[in-house]
Formats: sequence, C-alpha cells, structure tokens
Amino acid sequence: MSAIIKVDNLVEVYSDGTKAVDDISFSVNEGEFFGFLGPNGAGKSTTIKILTTLLRKTSGTVNVAGYDVVKQAADIRKIIGVQSQETTVDGDLTGRENITLQGHFHQMNSDEIKKRVNELLSLVGLEEAADRRGRNYSGGMKKRLDLATALVHKPKILFLDEPTTGLDPQSRAAIWSYLEKLNKEEGITIFLTTQYLEEADKLCKRLAIIDSGKIVASGSPTELKRQIGADSIRISLENCKKDTANAKELIKSMTGVTEIIDSEECITVYAKNAGLLIADIVRALDSSDIRIASVTFSSPSLDDVFMKHTGRRIRTEELVKAPSPMWGGARR
Amino acid sequence: MTLLSDTRYIFVRYLTKLVRTPILLFFSLFQPILFLALFTQLLGKLSSFPGVLPAGVTYLEFAAAGIVMQNAFGSALQSGNSIVADIDSGFLQKMLVTPLSRPAILLGRLSSDAFRVVVQTAIILGLAYGIGDAENKPFYVNTGVVGVLLIFFTLAFFGLAWSGISLALGMKTRSSETVFAIGGVITFPLLFLSPALFPLSFLPTWVKDVSMFNPVSYCVSATRALMINGYTWSTILPAWGVIGLVAVITMGATLYQFRKVVS
Repeated sequence: MSAIIKVDNLVEVYSDGTKAVDDISFSVNEGEFFGFLGPNGAGKSTTIKILTTLLRKTSGTVNVAGYDVVKQAADIRKIIGVQSQETTVDGDLTGRENITLQGHFHQMNSDEIKKRVNELLSLVGLEEAADRRGRNYSGGMKKRLDLATALVHKPKILFLDEPTTGLDPQSRAAIWSYLEKLNKEEGITIFLTTQYLEEADKLCKRLAIIDSGKIVASGSPTELKRQIGADSIRISLENCKKDTANAKELIKSMTGVTEIIDSEECITVYAKNAGLLIADIVRALDSSDIRIASVTFSSPSLDDVFMKHTGRRIRTEELVKAPSPMWGGARR
Repeated sequence: MTLLSDTRYIFVRYLTKLVRTPILLFFSLFQPILFLALFTQLLGKLSSFPGVLPAGVTYLEFAAAGIVMQNAFGSALQSGNSIVADIDSGFLQKMLVTPLSRPAILLGRLSSDAFRVVVQTAIILGLAYGIGDAENKPFYVNTGVVGVLLIFFTLAFFGLAWSGISLALGMKTRSSETVFAIGGVITFPLLFLSPALFPLSFLPTWVKDVSMFNPVSYCVSATRALMINGYTWSTILPAWGVIGLVAVITMGATLYQFRKVVS
C-alpha cells in the first residue's frame, strides 16, 4: 500500500507563540480510514487545516496525493473533500442548491452536477428535504447535507473535522454508516478527527492519539488496546481521601496487579486477571474496614490508552457553539 | 474562463440570499424611502423661496439625487456584514478548500452589491416619479434613458467604492456590529455635510467649505446634473474621478485584508 498522505516533522506555531502542532510525523495509506483522536485543543483541527491548504505550516513537509501542500495547493484542492467542524450550510439556499453550488465551485458541468446531486441526496437520505431551505434543517440534517457537499466532486481523500460533534446518537450512527460505506464501497481515503473514543474505535482502522500538539501513540485500535495489556478495575471508595493509601497498599501485593493509579473514581487497578481479582480486592478492603462505594470492571478502552500516555482522560464536552477562529490566532 | 463563471456563481448566490431575506431589502430601502417621503413633504416649500433652489426646480427634483446617494451608501455598508457572516459560518473556508477562483469571491460580492444599488435606485426613481405625479409637479430625468443609465453607473460605481470600506472593515474586525457602528457613524456626516438634501446656499459657510472635500458632494452634483441640467461633463467627469480615487483606496484596503484572510 502506498502513502497518500505523508507528514514529516510538522510544526505549527501561532503568532502568539502557541505551539499548536509540535513536530508530528505520520502517514495515511490509500484507501485507509485513519483517525486523529484527542481532546479539544490537541491540535487536530490545526493539522486538518494545514493538510487542506487552509493554514500555512510553520515548518515540516506535508504531501497529499503526491502534491506538496504549499507549492501545489491548487492541485490538492481538486481532489479533496473537506467537512469542517462548523456546519457550513448556506441557510438561505435549499439542500439541492447547496450541493449544486459546491459542484460549480469544483468546475463540474451542469449535467454532471444534476446527476451527482441526486445520488448524494439519496446517500444521505435527504431526498424529501432537498428543496427546503438549509436553515429549516435539524442539526443532524445539516451535518448530512454538509457531508454531501464535500462529496460532490468524488474526492479521493475526505477530511472530516469532528463530523459528529454535538449530534444526537441517531444522527451520529447515520453519519457513521455513510462513512463506512464510502470507505468500503468507493475506496475513498478518510482522514477523521474526533474526541469521541467510540467513534475512533468503531470507524478507524488506524489511529494516532494526539495531545498538546504531539502524537503520543499510534496503531490500530486493537493494537493500542493490546499494548495496555491489562483490564482495569475502577474502585470508588466512600472515603477516598482517608483510605486511598491503605487500599493501594493492600491491593499492590496481589498477584496479577500491574499498576495502580489515582483516578476520577478514586483508584484504578490494572491487572491481567482482573475478573478473578475483584473478589479478593473486595474481601481485603472489607476486612480492613474500608468501605467501597462501587467497583467497575472493564477491558482496555482507548480511554485507557489515552490515560496511559497522558495521565488524563479525554474529556468529551458537548460543543454547543464554540467561537471559531479560522485562520490562526487561537488554538483549538 | 473560470474567473467569470465563478464570479457568476457567487453573484447569483448573494442575490438569491438577498431576495430570500426580504427583511434586509426592506430595511435598506426603508430609510431612503422614508427620507424621500419626509423631506419632500417637509421641505417642499423651499422652491417657493427665490434663490434657494435653481429656478424652476422642485425640491423633489433636487433631493432625488441625494436620496439615491443615501441608498447607495446604505446598501454598500451592508456588504461587509455578508463577508463577516461567511467567515463566521465557515462558508468562506468552505469556498477556499475548493479550486474556486479567489478573486471571484470578491468580484461576485461586489457585482451583486452594484446590481442591488441599481435595482434600488430604479425603485426610488420610480417612487419619486409617483410622488411628482401625485403632486402635479412632474419628476423625470432630463437626460432620458441614457441619462438614467449614467446615473445607475455613477451610483453603482460609488456603491462599489463604499462597499470596499465595509468589506475591509468586516474582514479586519470580523464583527458585524463594528461594521454597522462605523458605517452609521460615517454615513450621516458625509451625507449632511454635502449638498445631498439641502442646497449649498442654504448651508452655513463652514459646511460649504467642508463639503468641498467630501466625495459625496461630487457624486450628488453629478447625479443631480444628469437629472436636471443635462450632460454637464464638467460636473460628471470630476465625480467619476473622485469615486475612482476613493475606490482605489478602499479596494486596496479590501484586497490587502482579503489576502490576509485567504493566505
């Protein structure tokens, strides 16, 4: 497989000195479904803006489909489709007009556009709403329309910046199924950023986990989770402050325990045979008069992967409408 | 020619948006129409004082040039808000990731502004004709169809020059409130410190002096000349020169800001 996106030592420093992207390198293969997972402000949108010719990089090399992102920006624009984080539907135009206009921007001829518009409307299930104005669409419909406009010229690579942020679960599932279909059936390379673990886990064949402008881990979701090597037991204690030290001491010596860390619940224990350990832990704590509020057991998740590399969990905020600096200035 | 066809798509988009937001059209026409109705009623008697207005000229005939000028002002100053809206919504960004010709984004907007000024001017002239007819003091453009076309040209050209101010401001501040506030602040002094609505002989000396440096004065005089006197090229050509000068400055600022935005 050949790399269709190749990024080497990419750095982006904003005029206020913020290092939004701090020396990252990665590549995406043709036909791959690749994702950037990270919290708000990690540098995901900045990277996408550089890759889609919207933002000038500070240093490093970026190559998209064999074109240099600075010298051959015009060639790149012809073959990429971009859905930005903001839903950019023109509310005064109908769904059909929105897609048609985008087709004109790509210099397609009218017959071609007409045919394509109908295809896309049916792909995203907006045939019935096609002639209503964008402003009357629901949030989910707008996102779907936005996706359709990004696809009008049959792009080779589709860039999606948090395509489901702020959507209800149903709309999210719908978007997911379109994306999987596009990737599988039409072979479109997809580069997606997300702050949703589930989304990254479900869709991406390969991931880079990004935090504070740096890639902290990369690989397939399964691989990344396997690296954790252990299940986790999250224990919340009734009196966390007082009992943490004692509890840790008791659990530390048990066989199979690989690591104990402080977490939101109180403590999280990583262990190979976690299922078997739970009973032992409960017994040990109980006999030492440490009262347990709850115990949850889980197989490794991408959140654990993120936790392992950054010491924090990904905080998923429901973005209602964040102010959106577009050409630098502030970081995202 | 992609530049031409791209400009056309942007032009059509903005006009479609305008037509589908009648409230915007209403508000931008509301003020000039209100002024037309109010001023002609309040100051209609001016023509009976000898020496204030040129002989045989009604106040309606006199003020029409000022009103259409005010209209061009108002429309042009809304232009910057459209670009702010496109920046805020991300639509500009969406255009920029396509091969769409960059200059077409500006040209499309400007040509839609110019078109709008022409249509609104036609509406106002029509209304003026109606008022003149109702009052039995006929209002018509003395230079006929060609004159009307020249008036359209002058006002559209003037509108473009002022669009430049609001576009540059909009891209610089990215705030429609600022564009509105600054627009409002400059519109009225420029309009009233010119012979747009009051004859110069009626105004204090200092206003006469200031009006000499006011580009609006030149445009109003040219428009008025085409309506009342005929092809007075000695008034019309300098006005085009002044507008051209203003346009060079405002378009320069717009281009400068636009480059910063798209690079």
